[in-house]
Parts: sequence; structure tokens; C-alpha cells
Amino acid sequence: MNSKDCFHCGDPVPRNLCITSTVDNEEVSFCCYGCQAIADFIRGEDLSQYYRHRSRSADNPSNANTEEYANAFTLLKDEDVYPLYVHIDNQEHHIQLSVDGMTCSACAWLIEKHISSLDGVVSMHINLSNSLATLIWDPSKIDINDINHSANSIGYYLKPYRSDGEDTNRIEKRKSSIIKLGIAGVGMMQVMMSAIALYAGDIQGMEDSYKQLLRWASFCFSTPVVLFSASPFFNAALRDLKTRHFTMDLPVSIGIGLAYISSVYALFIDHGHVYFDSVTMFTFFLLLGRFLEEGARHKSLKNNTKNDELSSVILCKNDQPLLYPKSKLTLNDIIQVAPGESLPTDGVIVDGHTNIDESSLTGEYLPVAKSIGDVVTASTTNIDQTIKIKVTAIGTQTRAAAIERLTQRALSEKPKIAVIADKIAHYFVICVLLVAVLAYGTWYFIDQEQAYWIMVSVLVVTCPCALSLATPVALTTATNKLKEYGLVITRGHVIESLAKCQHIAFDKTGTLTYGKFDIVSISNIDSERIVDICSALEQGSIHPIAKAFQSTNHIKANKLVNHTGLGVEGEIDGAQYRLGNQKFIQHWCQDWHDQSIEPNALTLFLATESAIISRIVLQDRLRSETQSTVQNLRNAGFTVSLLTGDTKASALSVLCEEDFDAFITDQTPEDKWQWLSKKADLKRTIMVGDGLNDVPSLAGASTSIAMGQSSDLAKTHADALLLSNDISTIYQAILLAKKCQRIIKQNLFWAASYNGIMLPAALLGLIPPWSAAIGMAASSLLVVLNATRLSK
Amino acid sequence: MESLYLLVPIAGLFVAIGLGIFVWAVKKDQFDDLDREGERILFDDEEDEK
Repeated sequence: MNSKDCFHCGDPVPRNLCITSTVDNEEVSFCCYGCQAIADFIRGEDLSQYYRHRSRSADNPSNANTEEYANAFTLLKDEDVYPLYVHIDNQEHHIQLSVDGMTCSACAWLIEKHISSLDGVVSMHINLSNSLATLIWDPSKIDINDINHSANSIGYYLKPYRSDGEDTNRIEKRKSSIIKLGIAGVGMMQVMMSAIALYAGDIQGMEDSYKQLLRWASFCFSTPVVLFSASPFFNAALRDLKTRHFTMDLPVSIGIGLAYISSVYALFIDHGHVYFDSVTMFTFFLLLGRFLEEGARHKSLKNNTKNDELSSVILCKNDQPLLYPKSKLTLNDIIQVAPGESLPTDGVIVDGHTNIDESSLTGEYLPVAKSIGDVVTASTTNIDQTIKIKVTAIGTQTRAAAIERLTQRALSEKPKIAVIADKIAHYFVICVLLVAVLAYGTWYFIDQEQAYWIMVSVLVVTCPCALSLATPVALTTATNKLKEYGLVITRGHVIESLAKCQHIAFDKTGTLTYGKFDIVSISNIDSERIVDICSALEQGSIHPIAKAFQSTNHIKANKLVNHTGLGVEGEIDGAQYRLGNQKFIQHWCQDWHDQSIEPNALTLFLATESAIISRIVLQDRLRSETQSTVQNLRNAGFTVSLLTGDTKASALSVLCEEDFDAFITDQTPEDKWQWLSKKADLKRTIMVGDGLNDVPSLAGASTSIAMGQSSDLAKTHADALLLSNDISTIYQAILLAKKCQRIIKQNLFWAASYNGIMLPAALLGLIPPWSAAIGMAASSLLVVLNATRLSK
Repeated sequence: MESLYLLVPIAGLFVAIGLGIFVWAVKKDQFDDLDREGERILFDDEEDEK
């Protein structure tokens, strides 16, 4: 870790800031007091080995909205809701909680230790794989709200969780595939031992009775593997037959089934070769590949709880604020929204005036001023002042829900990317079956005795082991490698479509830029002193502007007053200061003379009553890697487009039009999707975005990547998540995907040519069955080893 | 070599018992969290030293 990064959360420490503590006899620094408080608390509880064992930094505590979590627990106490979540067993109450903010197993340990030590908590067990905790507590000794608070104090956030049918299904399926995999693994090892003895017996000579014993042993061990472990393949093959669309499951099933049946036949008539070893090994490797692939996919899908009864709003009834479940809201209710909260429904402002951050809907990052009578939209964020709104639309009627519907439509029109292996499988099956039947037919006339065994060796030789392993092993390795880069894949086709991609469309706000204000220029020589004054004035404000001035705490301001839509005012060392826009300063400061205002940026003035001290320009800033990534992509021959809902002028203020092949601005969410779907090369297009306004295009694009900080909806509809938020990863990922594609092709080529060479020989009856089995194993191994090159 | 007639079935019996325990463990949720258990030992160790 860099010494300039926060010890707790790993964010960079603002310059000139000195918040330090001693941990393990070492002085460490923090980016904010929140992080310091957590670290001190952890140390005080004697839990500091957390810092030694963790593999990733914690999340920054200032990003979380603690109130929302606390409200969920308050609503939980409602009589109707409580039994849905809590199971009561005498004095002990049991609940499932989803845990936010966990990054590694050290986190899980820390929470368990800390919560279990509370008086009244019977047990706390955390499952890291699905970020769920099981809490058993005694409500007569401790309130669940206090348990939540004490988790907050170490930087984690709890929320009641209710599992639905889908969850139980998934857990059952996972258990059953672990059992299948375990049985296949153990069965394979046992059969291999017998097989080695049998092969050694073939060379050195072994009495027939012992050979028969070993054959019977391998029959006993391989039977459960074929009948139980391999059943998913057989079921899928049956489905293929019904739908007439052949996938790799069909040749796999035919291979496993016939090799097994003929081995059993050979065993009973005591003539011919047994293939139990090949069958079990093949089954095991295929199951393992599928298990890993499934695991990677599920891990990336977070617990999207649909517990509407626990999302809260503040309802104003008879002028009394009341915590109320969102699901029970009706039209024309008056609700109150505090600064920093996102609006729960569409509505009209009836009291107060404020700025609303609509970037999630429009991409416009400058907040929009709204006052009484103005329409506001669900999923936008209130910034300045508490407002009261009259509900005009709820649930599926809101504009955000309309975007959701648009998304569903886009999703249904999404182009399907066929996976190479399945395309091959379709023809492969037909050919193999045809050849096997022909071989049997022809040999039937030549030598009836041999006909069956030649057909079996044709099937074994053409058994698509290597062919069906070629793609999945390479994909699994590449998926794991991409996860290391910070790109998590949630849909199977992503690697293939990344490799084929030729066109990349980027959203602007939050994707190419950080999506928050940053200081661009300060017109004064002593700029550090200015920043100190500004941050003192902005202390305690949650306005996005305040975030630009990170707290440095060198100066203390008193009598802070927040003027909505204008700025802030405060007293420092006896002098009155104001920080705000032109309107705010103009009539107050006697020294006012016309100042230039930057277009598409926010110009602030810092002044005392007698003099203007500084002119500060704030703007959304490009990510540091944006420019080089766009350059790299274009140099490598990709078409790069900008697709934003923001105005052209605003886009031009941070980006150059020449850097992009297409510079598309002023787009509604629907426009964005339409623009994408009109592209001739839609199948080769990647969409990268983050906001709610990108959701339809993310869902509709053949491949979509959502930033790690995206809205939940964007994450659910994207094919991949960029957890690192570092867009240069996309370029690396494309290179890796291409390499993966090359390896898949090499694998397929090898597998196909192996089958191609061996087939005629088997047809002529030149391949003894045992060498067909060894050849099959060797070619599978080669394919697996080739794929491991990707992880280097 | 005749011992094989006894030893191979015994080996088979052991495998069956092992698999039985494995299936029981999976059903009892012992394999629920494959990410965490591998690292748990690190924490418990240090606590014993104290």
C-alpha cells in the first residue's frame, strides 16, 4: 500500500491532511475522520489482526447512507413485517442479514468477532460467498437496531434479508452439483488405480481371473459416476433432442453412454476392452469446468433483495413526519425528502426549494434548481434542502419504471451470440452418428464378429472429449484472469464477443469522467490557504460541491449558514466569508467587478465583504486513464464513440471531438438504445456505462460493461462489471479475450485433427481399443494444459 | 495374490463410507462457503498465542 493512501480504506489521503493513529507500533494516516474512528475502534476492541490478514482495503465509510439501513430495521418492527424476516425460537430470534461493505475473509472474521461479543447476541455466522449473515439474538437483552449500529461503527452495513424460492433453488442445485462432482472425483481416482494395474498387467502378464476382478471393481466405481454424476449431461441431451437444437451435451452423452454400455457388455461376455477409466475421467473434468463457471457467475450477482416493505419514506401526515414503508404509499401523499436522499417516487414539489442531481436519468452532472410546483422524478437525488413532494406516480407508473420497461424490450431484442462449440456440435453429432452407423453396416458384411467392436472404437476415437473441453477450460481460465484485472463476467458469451468487438461506445458522466466536481483552477497565488478556507466553509455540507473540497481541518469556521442555490457563509477568525455563485457574492461584496464565468463549469467566488479573494472553477474531471485508453483503442483499430445524455457543449468542455469516431450528445435513454441498435455491426459493439439512463442500451447491446459504482439496475443488466472502475482494463480485457480465442482455436484444431487422423484408422479396424482410450486421455490433457497458458 | 479378492472389496467399502460422509457434510451445509474456510485457520491461530 502506498504511504499516501488511507490505512483503512485505501483512498488517497488529501495533501496537507494529517490524521494519524498508531497501529501495531506504526504510525499510519487516514483520509478522513470516519476511517480513523473505525480503525481506532477496531484497535480498541483488540481486533487489529484484521489489518494483517485482509487481502483488500475496506470501503470508504463516507459513501454509505447509514440512515437508510437504520430505517430498514425500524420498519422491520412492524407487526406484519416482523414474522416475514424473523424466526422466533423461545427467547431466541433468528434473522438473515445481508452485509454490505465486506471485501475479504478478514472482514467476515471482524464482524463475527465484534457482533458476537455484544451482550445478548447468541451467535453471528457469516457466509462470505453470498454476503449473508445469520444472527441469533435475544431481544430482551439487546435491540436489533443497536446491533446494526455497532456494525456501522466498524464500517459495515446490515440489512434484513428474506430468501425467496429462487435462492433455495440455487442452493439446492449447488449442493447437488458439489455432491456429483465429489462422487465423480473419487470414482475417477478408484477407477484409475484399477486401470493402471490393468495396463501394467497387459504388459507384464496377469492372470485372467485377477484382470476380471479389477474390471469388476472399476465397473462398481464407475457406475454411480455415469448414472448419477453424469445425469445433467443426459438430461440436457434429452432436451436437445426435443428441441432439435443440438449442443455439445448430445455428443458428450453419446460418448459417455456408449463407452459405458459397451464396457459393461465386454465385462459380461468377457471379451473386448473396458473404457471405465476414460468415461469417469471425462465426466469429472467436464463437471469441474461447469462447476467453476457457475460459481464465477453467481458470485458476481449481488443479493438484489426485493424487500419493498423495508424501503422507507418520511410521510407527512397532519404536519407530523412519520417513517412509513414505501410499499404502502398512495397517490397524493405528501412525503418529505432530506438532502442526500434519492427520491422514492415521481412527484411535484409542494414545499421548499433545492437542487436536484438528475445525472442518473440525463447524464447531466450539474444539479438542476427546483422549487414549488416543479416536477421531480424517482431515482434522482435531492441535494440542498429538505423538500416536501406530493406523490404523482408510484411503482410501475414512475419514469424510472418506464426505463425498466424499455430495458425489458431492449433485452428481448438483444442479438444472440452463438458460442462456437455449440455451432460445431450441431454438425459434429450428425457426422459422428452417420459414420458410426456406416462403419457398423460396412463391417457387418466384411466380418460380422468385429463389426460391433469397430463401431465402438470409432465412437471412442471420435468421442468429443478434447473437443468439448477445448472451449470451457479456456473460458474458465480467462474468466478467472479477468477477475484479477477487476472485470467480472456475468454472462457466458462475453469473452467471445469481447474478442470479436470492433466498436466501443462510452457513456460520459461517471464512465469516462469521475462524475463529481473537482477543482479545475483557483485564481490566487496562495491556493492552499484558499482550499483550507473553502473546506472549512463547506464542512458539514453534503452538496456535491462540498466533496470537491476535502476536509483539511486546518481552519475552523463558525456560524455556518447554507443558502440554497447560492452558497455558504461562515466566520473565520472574526472575519465573515462567503463562498458561492455570482448571484450570492455580487450584491454583498463591495469590491465586485465583472468576472468572467466559465461556460459548462461551475464558477464559485470566495469573498469577504470588502474583497473578492478568489475565483474557483469546478468541473467534472476525466478519469486519469481515459485519454490514453481511448488513444490505445483507436490505435488498435477500434471505432470509439461517445454516447451521452449531456449537452454537446458540456461534453466538449472535458473531451475533444477529434478523439472519437462518433460524438453523439443530447440523447435520451431511448435515443441511446436506438442509436446502438441501428448500428450495422451491433454484434461487434460494446457499450460501457453506469447510470440509469444507460440501462436500456446496456441491456440491448450485444455486450455491455457497467462500472463498479453503477446504479444497481445498470449492474443487473450488464454482461460484465468493471469493479476496478479503471477503464484501461477494458483494453487489457480485449487483448486477453483475443488470446483466449486463439487458444480455443488451437484447442479445437488439435482436437479436430486428432479425431480426423484417428477416425480412418479406427474405421479400418487398426486401432486397438486400449490405445484409443489412452489417446483420448492424452489429447484431453493437452487441451487443458494449453488453456492454463492464459493464466500467466 | 489371493488377498486381492478380500482387499479390493474392503477398499470399495472404505470409499463408500467416505463418500457417505462427504454427502452428509454437503447436506449439513459444510460446503456452503468455499471462500472463507481456507483462511479461517489464520485467525484462530493468533488468538491462541495471546
